Amino acid sequence: MNKRTFTNFKLICFFVLGLISFLPITLLSQNPVILGSGNTGGMNVTTSDSQGSNTGDQTIDGLGLLPNMSASSRFLQQATLGADLETIEAMTDKSYSQWIEEQFALPRGLDIEQYTKDLTEFVLDSSYSNGGDPNNVRPRLYYWHTAWWQYTMTEADVLRNRIALALSEIFVVSELPELDDVPLSLANYYDMLLDNSFGNFRQLLEDVTFHPAMGVYLTHVNNPKSDTSLNRFPDENYAREVMQLFTIGLYELNDDGTQKLDSLGKPIPTYDNDDIAEFAKVFTGLTYGDAFLFGQDPQGHLSFTVPMIMKDFWHNPGQKALLNGFTIPNRNPIDGIADISDALDNLFNHPNVGPFIARKLIQRLVTSNPTPAYIGRVTNAFNNNGSGVRGDMKAVIKAILLDEEARDCAMVDDPFAGMLREPITRYTQLCRAFNAFSNAGTFRNDMDDFHKLVFQRPLASPSVFNFFQPDYQPIGPIDDADMFAPEFQITNSVTILGYANRLHDWIMKTNQVMEYRDFFSGEQNDSDRYVNLELTDELNLEEVSEIGELIERLNIILVAGQMTDTTRNILTQALESIPEDEWEIRVRMAIWLVMISPDYLILR
Amino acid sequence: MGLKNISRRKFLAQTGCAAMGSTTLFSSLANLSLVNKLIGTASTPPSDYKALVCILLAGGNDSFNMLMPHGNDEYADYAATRSDLAIPQGDLLNLNYTAPNGKIFGAHPSMGGVQQMFEAGELAYISNVGTLIEPIANSTEYFSGLKNLPLGLFSHSDQIQQWQTAIPQSREAIGWGGRMADIVKTMNTNQGISMNISLSGRNVFQSGNTVLEYSISNQGNGVEGIEKINQWKSDSGLINNIRTEAVSDMATHMYANIFKQTLGELTDQSMESLEVFQNALSSVPPFATNFSDHYLSQNLKMVARTIGAKDDLGMKRQTFFMTIGGWDHHNELLANQEFLLAVVSNAIKEFFDALKEVGLENDVTLFTVSDFARTLTSNGKGSDHAWGGNSIVAGGAVNGKKIYGDYPDLYLSGNDLIINGRGNLIPTTSADEYFAELALWFGVSPSDLHLILPNITNFYSPGGSAPLGFLL
Repeated sequence: MNKRTFTNFKLICFFVLGLISFLPITLLSQNPVILGSGNTGGMNVTTSDSQGSNTGDQTIDGLGLLPNMSASSRFLQQATLGADLETIEAMTDKSYSQWIEEQFALPRGLDIEQYTKDLTEFVLDSSYSNGGDPNNVRPRLYYWHTAWWQYTMTEADVLRNRIALALSEIFVVSELPELDDVPLSLANYYDMLLDNSFGNFRQLLEDVTFHPAMGVYLTHVNNPKSDTSLNRFPDENYAREVMQLFTIGLYELNDDGTQKLDSLGKPIPTYDNDDIAEFAKVFTGLTYGDAFLFGQDPQGHLSFTVPMIMKDFWHNPGQKALLNGFTIPNRNPIDGIADISDALDNLFNHPNVGPFIARKLIQRLVTSNPTPAYIGRVTNAFNNNGSGVRGDMKAVIKAILLDEEARDCAMVDDPFAGMLREPITRYTQLCRAFNAFSNAGTFRNDMDDFHKLVFQRPLASPSVFNFFQPDYQPIGPIDDADMFAPEFQITNSVTILGYANRLHDWIMKTNQVMEYRDFFSGEQNDSDRYVNLELTDELNLEEVSEIGELIERLNIILVAGQMTDTTRNILTQALESIPEDEWEIRVRMAIWLVMISPDYLILR
Repeated sequence: MGLKNISRRKFLAQTGCAAMGSTTLFSSLANLSLVNKLIGTASTPPSDYKALVCILLAGGNDSFNMLMPHGNDEYADYAATRSDLAIPQGDLLNLNYTAPNGKIFGAHPSMGGVQQMFEAGELAYISNVGTLIEPIANSTEYFSGLKNLPLGLFSHSDQIQQWQTAIPQSREAIGWGGRMADIVKTMNTNQGISMNISLSGRNVFQSGNTVLEYSISNQGNGVEGIEKINQWKSDSGLINNIRTEAVSDMATHMYANIFKQTLGELTDQSMESLEVFQNALSSVPPFATNFSDHYLSQNLKMVARTIGAKDDLGMKRQTFFMTIGGWDHHNELLANQEFLLAVVSNAIKEFFDALKEVGLENDVTLFTVSDFARTLTSNGKGSDHAWGGNSIVAGGAVNGKKIYGDYPDLYLSGNDLIINGRGNLIPTTSADEYFAELALWFGVSPSDLHLILPNITNFYSPGGSAPLGFLL
């Protein structure tokens, strides 16, 4: 942040802090309901001025009714992987929908696969020049992690990156158990998710289905047709999971995500094992995109980056009875690609997809327990973007982020509202909120310790069921209320302390916020590549009397203005107890404490 | 280029944590609420110590390639059905046991440690065991529509959950290990640390109505405290105290928001148990037994150390849980399973070797569970999801060198335990009978058994002779 905006901030803080002396402090955390929430809530407002009537959109959400800092911060915490004060401030100058449209219009950021390749080439060349062994050079898993951080820290299309991360936890492939050997494949898969984040769900589903990372992960690559003489049947893995996890789920749903019930009041399964066997036949005959023979082993890293291709001889011939009465015809000659296309259409047009995907995306971005009405509004957007198009991700994203349930600040004080921030977004928020930088401009980070102790990094789920499941209920008050809290599934004595200690490493122990890996001998301890937080503005506040201002600043940036009195008092007391000549430790202690506080960790 | 290995080695989930979540969309069974009423009823503090160790083979172990028929006729059926997935007859490890029906069996060639323990009478197999609500005699009954079938048969998420809840008719958040702990936890003098300890984080098995697992890692002394601040010029003791107090204040505050409250409680519990646990573990002398590097061995080493610290920890009854993933062998079954079975076999052998050093091998029973076994037939590369399968139970208390339950015929045609052409076997022994035996050994009274295993009376009359006989 430059000096100018810092000054602006001081003015705002002055204003805010000035209020404190007159008003109960809770007003700071109880944000006023922000106008602008109504424009997607079915609210019809007509105004008239000298030019005649205006639409509600222009009226309610228009410029001039500006979101405040807390509300802006809250929005950006849902819609991005973290924002600094400058970005939060800039957000106050525009409406949410305007910001989203601007994000939609931004070009895709760097090509993650290409960055990973370039890094490999750089290592090869440097290794040769520095007397290393070029034979040891190959794309490494941490090159892809580095590329992911480069994107996250430098690219402007922050909404796209946020959506891609959410999609990566729905359409799960993982470095485990074996894709860690082919990081280009993971990089390419993430590129594919980025490319589809603002596209159409049908295309996303197709690109996922044909991606070799998925073919390896859910084993439909080189999946041969049946041969009953050998007791050989099609692999059912992808057939099952594409239904259970990627499109329709286990039970028939109403548009609002509630289960349909039969006459006995029981939920209605969407498919049975016979359906799985039929879909399994559809996903036969695919092999690596650069293979010339079915069943051929991969030829190299690039085999895992080009879409799989169909070898019709190895595709199950004949009819396939799919869902809702649809049957794939007996194609002659066999046409496996047409069969898959029919099957994906059959799934895509299933009425479950809207509510199923809506709930999963809302849980990733906004709240763990959306109301049926909220899911229903997002389903409507999925089913029809307003121009008759089904599956338009832009419409879905707008419906999620602009919904009154996402925007209405009254939710902040609802004792049943919220979600636990997942660990990786805490990490990115810290780095983005405080403009982490290295002199070399690189963000080398393998997240090894983070992954080991906090159980998360991108594309590293322990199974296709993601790091946590949508219906997880921790025992205690959440379970008692029969509500869900997926992220608590990876929250236990190991990960709670593991996270606190990673924060300690980044903030209290060293100034290095990323887990630096040297790529070859000549680069060891290259301090130009160490990634540091930019805390100048915080360090410039150096009077004890400025403790309150420091806390409010962190409150806005990290907690979206929702810090409770309790937390504020605990922080104030702790910071005031630190000896006067130790301002830096006050700043670092403040960030550390805020980031382990329940006020911060529960996003509302 | 390292690509050679892509489809050979490998083993999922270095970080564990594959235990699956749950919902309570359907009402809990009525008698489960009784468990709550028992809480606080002091059990007589026992003089003995007992531990149950559960290893979840997540993904669905193809266990008809873990325990195989060895007689010529039965092997021929096995080989014909399994086709390219069959392990050569000559490679099987001999098990010197003949079933009452005269059949003989072989162990997977990579499970030498398990074979040795079997031969020494310290290990047994439970055959064709699976999730059931009530007995299903044959495929006719299965298709009759008259029998209650487990929810989501053949699906990972449901089956892995039901092996932990023992309630296949609904999706529950509470596991049978948790319900058991609700009842027996008062046997422990120390209530500050959970009697359910997990090496794989949150899991359903160990979640009770009043008991939550305590998660440890296999590093150091099992739990990591918050690192101390020591690089600041002022008194670091003061700075650390300030921080500790602030953390504690935030964790113990009563929050109106249920998410914050849940998180605060978890943080508080994590911090509270920390020092006691670390101190107890640090006083355990090292074992002479050499544990392998694989995390499963290292996890079991940590379990052995924790058991070694039982007196300092004030524990009379403990359960331990861990997951080893990577068993979903739709692909490259033979090579991948060979690797994983060797890991399991070595880890179990090392674990009991270490316990023998401290004379606790008779007080600890280890058992394996898995989502399901896999289709007997091949998909050309591996096998798909099925149902009944084989499990291992080990320890000095086990009536070993035996196979419990009926090992099924493995031919396809005319086999009335097989429900489709893929070779999905109906279990002939319920997971409930398997668990009931473990629970009774652990000290649960026969009259409480139905509180832990609500379907048990569909298979077994509590108070009668042992459900299966492998421990009792």
